[in-house]
Amino acid sequence: MSMHTILSKRSGLVAGLAVGFGLLLAGCQQNPPEATQQNGYRGVALEQVQSPKRLAALAEVNQASEVIPPGDRTGPRAAQAYQNVKVLGDLSETEFTRIMVAMTSWVAPGGVSGSDEGQGCSYCHNLNNMADESKYQYKTARRMLQMTREINSNWTNHVGATGVTCYTCHRGNPIPTQTWFTGAGHPKNLADAGGWIGANNGQNLAGKFVGRASLPADPFTPLIQFAETIRVTGQTALPTGKHEQIAVAERTNALMNHMSESLGVNCTFCHNSRAFGEWKDAPPQRVNAYHGIRMLRDVNANYLAPLNTTYPATKLGPEGDAAKAFCATCHQGVQKPLNGAPMLSDYPELGKPRP
Amino acid sequence: MGLLTTVDYQNIFTRVQVRGPDDLGIPIAKGIYERGTKTSHNYWFGKLGDAQVGPVYLGVYGLLSIACGIIAFEIIGLNMWASVNWDPVQFVRQLFWLGLEPPLAKHGLNPFIPLNEGGWFLMTGFFFTASVLFWWARTYTRARALGMGTHVPWAFAAAIWLMLVLGFIRPIAMGCWCEAVPYGIFPHLDWVQAFSIRYGNLHYNPFHAFSIVFLYGSVLLFAMHAGTILAVTRYGGEREIEQIVDRGTASERAALFWRWTMGFNASMESIHRWAWWFAVLTPITGGIGILLTGTVVDNWFLWAQHYGFAPSYPAVNPPVVDPSLLPGAR
Amino acid sequence: MAMLSFERKYRVRGGTLLGGDLFDFWVGPFYVGMFGVTAAFFSILGTVLIFYSASMQGTFNPWTISIAPPDLKYGLGLAPLAEGGLWQIITICAIGAFVSWMLREVEICRKLGMGYHVPFAFGVAIFAYVTLVVIRPVLLGAWGHGFPYGIFSHLDWVSNVGYQYLNFMYNPAHMIAVTFFFTTTLALSLHGGLVLSAVNPKKGEAVKTPEHENAYFRDFIGYSVGTIGIHRLGLFLALSAGFWSAVCIVISGPFWTQGWPRWWSWWLDLPIWS
Repeated sequence: MSMHTILSKRSGLVAGLAVGFGLLLAGCQQNPPEATQQNGYRGVALEQVQSPKRLAALAEVNQASEVIPPGDRTGPRAAQAYQNVKVLGDLSETEFTRIMVAMTSWVAPGGVSGSDEGQGCSYCHNLNNMADESKYQYKTARRMLQMTREINSNWTNHVGATGVTCYTCHRGNPIPTQTWFTGAGHPKNLADAGGWIGANNGQNLAGKFVGRASLPADPFTPLIQFAETIRVTGQTALPTGKHEQIAVAERTNALMNHMSESLGVNCTFCHNSRAFGEWKDAPPQRVNAYHGIRMLRDVNANYLAPLNTTYPATKLGPEGDAAKAFCATCHQGVQKPLNGAPMLSDYPELGKPRP
Repeated sequence: MGLLTTVDYQNIFTRVQVRGPDDLGIPIAKGIYERGTKTSHNYWFGKLGDAQVGPVYLGVYGLLSIACGIIAFEIIGLNMWASVNWDPVQFVRQLFWLGLEPPLAKHGLNPFIPLNEGGWFLMTGFFFTASVLFWWARTYTRARALGMGTHVPWAFAAAIWLMLVLGFIRPIAMGCWCEAVPYGIFPHLDWVQAFSIRYGNLHYNPFHAFSIVFLYGSVLLFAMHAGTILAVTRYGGEREIEQIVDRGTASERAALFWRWTMGFNASMESIHRWAWWFAVLTPITGGIGILLTGTVVDNWFLWAQHYGFAPSYPAVNPPVVDPSLLPGAR
Repeated sequence: MAMLSFERKYRVRGGTLLGGDLFDFWVGPFYVGMFGVTAAFFSILGTVLIFYSASMQGTFNPWTISIAPPDLKYGLGLAPLAEGGLWQIITICAIGAFVSWMLREVEICRKLGMGYHVPFAFGVAIFAYVTLVVIRPVLLGAWGHGFPYGIFSHLDWVSNVGYQYLNFMYNPAHMIAVTFFFTTTLALSLHGGLVLSAVNPKKGEAVKTPEHENAYFRDFIGYSVGTIGIHRLGLFLALSAGFWSAVCIVISGPFWTQGWPRWWSWWLDLPIWS
C-alpha cells in the first residue's frame, strides 16, 4: 500500500471521528450547554450547573397565585366590626375580607376530597357563627396567621422584603405537601426488626428527604426541633479534646442534602467546600441559610409542634407529633420560593401589626 | 501493510489456543492437606491468558479463612436483611443503601456490648479480621512451600495495615469503636464524606496526597509496564524471569524504549521493584494519613493554612461574618 | 555519550512519521525526532508561561501557585492573559506537548520494532486530560469549567465539583473508576511481588520458574492467568481506570446536574418493586 493511501485512510479516520463527535454534540443539545452561574473566584468550581429544562419545569410549578386587588385601608377596624378577631384586628374591614378570601383560595379552595371537613369558608368556619372557635382548623388558622406575621416582621434576615403568605407553603392545599414528622422516612418498625438492629443511627435506607442518600433519614428532629449543634468540623488545626463523632457529621450532611435539594442548588451555593466551616471564603447566601435554620427552629418549636394538641389524631405523625416545616416546605425546589414573587408588598396586611 | 495486519501484531488476545496436558503444579512436600487434582478449562480465560483453572490448594489456613469470611459475610447480610424487616424485595431494592453500623458512642472501647448496639459489628470485625489474617498466613505458607520469596505476603500485609488502621488501631487511639467504618456500599461512602467534612478536608492531609500519588502512580506504572511487555511479546518479552537472569533482545528493546523516551529505564527486575513499592506504599501512606486524622490533627485545612500550603484566592464576594458571633444572634 | 553496552546496534535510521531524516538523531539518551522538537517547544513555552503566571500571582511557593481558567462569562472565547488567557495558552501547550510525546513514542516503537501499546495507553491518559479541560468545558459552554493548574488549588476544584453533586462517590462511573484504580494497584502488587518472589527465592534456593509462579497462584486462588495474561489484564485494568474517570466527570454537569445520590432514584422507583 502506498503512503498516499495510508494518508487518505488516516484523514478519513480523522474526518469520521470529527463527524462522530459533532453528531454526539448535536444529539445532546437537549441538555448541554447547561445554565451555569459563577459565585466565587474563577477556576475552583464555585458555581451552579443547572439543566435549563429542569429550571423551566420548576419555574412552571412555582407560580405565585393571582393577586386580589388591594382594598380600602380606611374605616372601622376588623376588631370592632367582627367578633373574636384576635390576630388581624388592626386591618380595615375591606382588608380583612380580602385576606379571608385570599386565604380560602390559598388553603382550602376545593376542600379535602373524600372528607367532610368542608370547603371554602366552611373548612375553618362554622357558617352559622363565623366567630365559633370549635373547628380545629379555625384555631390552627389563627396560629398560622400569627406565625406568618412573626416571619414577616421578625425573620426579615431570611425572608427579606419578599415575605411569605399562606400560599408560600400551602399552594392550594389544606396541609402543605412538603412537611416532616419525627422518624421521617425511617419507619419505626424497621428500626428494631426482631431486636437485630438498634444501632443504625436512623440511617442506611434510601432517605426520602435527604437526597436519597443512605444518610440519617431524619436529621430534622435533632437539628431543627432540638437545636443540636450542626457545626461538626474541627475548629482548630490540632485536637482540643472536644470531639464530634462521624455519625454526627453524617447527620449534618443529611440536613445539608435536604437544604440543597429543597433549593435546587448544590453545596457550593453557600460553601467553599474546601473548608465548609469557614465564613471568610463563603458565598454570602450562607448567611441567609443560617437565618433560615434559626427561623425553622422558631416556627417549629413555637407554632407548629405545639399544634399536636389541636389536631385530630388522624393528622398526627407515627410518633404522635404534628407536621412540621423544613426548607422544602416553602422552597419546593427553587432557590426563592415562588420564584421570588413579592408576597409582602402584595399582602402588606400579613406584615407587622399596625399600631 | 494495512491496518488489520498491524492489529494482529498487537497481541491483545490469544488467537490460537493450544491445549496440552494439564499442569498439576510443582510438587510440594506432603502435609495433612494436599493440593487438589481437579482442573477445568475456560475458553474466555484462554483468550486473555491461561485457560486452565485449578488445581487449588485448600489447606488449614484456607479452610479457616473461608469459614471466618463466611461468618462475617453472613452477619453483615443478615443485619442488612433485618434492617428492612426481613422483606426480601426491599432487601434487593435497598441493598446498596443497607449497612451495619459500628457500636454506639456510649460504649467506648467496651468489647462486650448488646448485639443490636454494635455487638454484631464487633463480631463481624473479629471474624473478618481473622479471615484476612488466615488468608495472609496462606499467602506466606504457599510461597514458602514452593521455595519462593515472600514479596506477595508482605505486599498483602500493607493492605492489612490500612484495614487495621480503619477498623482497629484508630478506633482504639480515639477511644471509641464508633470511629470504625460501617459495612455497606453507600454507608461506607457516606462515612468517607462525613469523615472528610469532620476533619476539615482530607485533600489537605499530606499522607492522603501521598497515597493518591502512589495509587495513580501504580496505575500509571502498570500501564507503562504492561504496555511495554506486550509490545515486546513478539520477542518473548513476557518471559520475564528468563529475561531477568539472561537478558535478551526483548529486554533490550523495552529498556531502550524508555531510555529514548524519557532518558531513564528500569531493568526487567527493577521495574517489578518499582511496581511493588508503588503499590505497597499506597495503603501504607493512606493508613498513616487516616491514623493521624483526629488523633494528631483535627482540621487538615487549618493545619495546611498554618504551614502555608493552602492557596488563597482573591475575594469576589462581599465579606461575610459568622452570624452566630453578631450581637443579638439566635 | 550515555549509551548502554548493547545500544549502538539498535540506533538505526528510519521509522519517523514526519520530517524524514531531519530530526532523526539522539541527544544524550533522548531520541529527538520531529515530535521531540515540538514536545520541547510546547513544554518549554508552557513552563515559562507557568512561571510568568506565578510571578503575576505573586508567589513561587510550589504548593500554592495556581493558574486559573477564565471566568465563566468568557464562555468559549479567549480571555485576557491575566484573567485566564494564560491558562488557555498553557492548556494548548500541555495538549501539544502530550500529543507530541505520544507520537514520539510511536516513532520509537517503530524504530525498535515494538507494538504500539505504550503510546496507545498514553493516549487514554491524554483523553482523560482532554475530557477535563476541553470536552467537558465545551459541553458546558465555558473554558472556566476546566481545572486550575496548581497542586492544592486543583484539589479545591475537585472538592467543589464533587460537592456540586452532593456526594460524588454515588456517581456510578466514579464507583467503577475507583474500583479499577484499586484493582489495578492490587494486581500490580501481586504481579510485582510474584516476579520478585520467583527471582529472589528463599535463601539457598535456586531462582524459580514461571511454572512456580503458576503453581503459587493456582495453590493460592485456583487460577493463574499466566505471563502474557497478567500484562493484558494489567493494561486493561489500568486503561479502564483512566477511561471511567473520564466518563465519570464528563457526565457530571453535561448530562446530570442534581445530586448523584438522587440519580439512583431510577432504581428505587422501578415498577417491579411494588
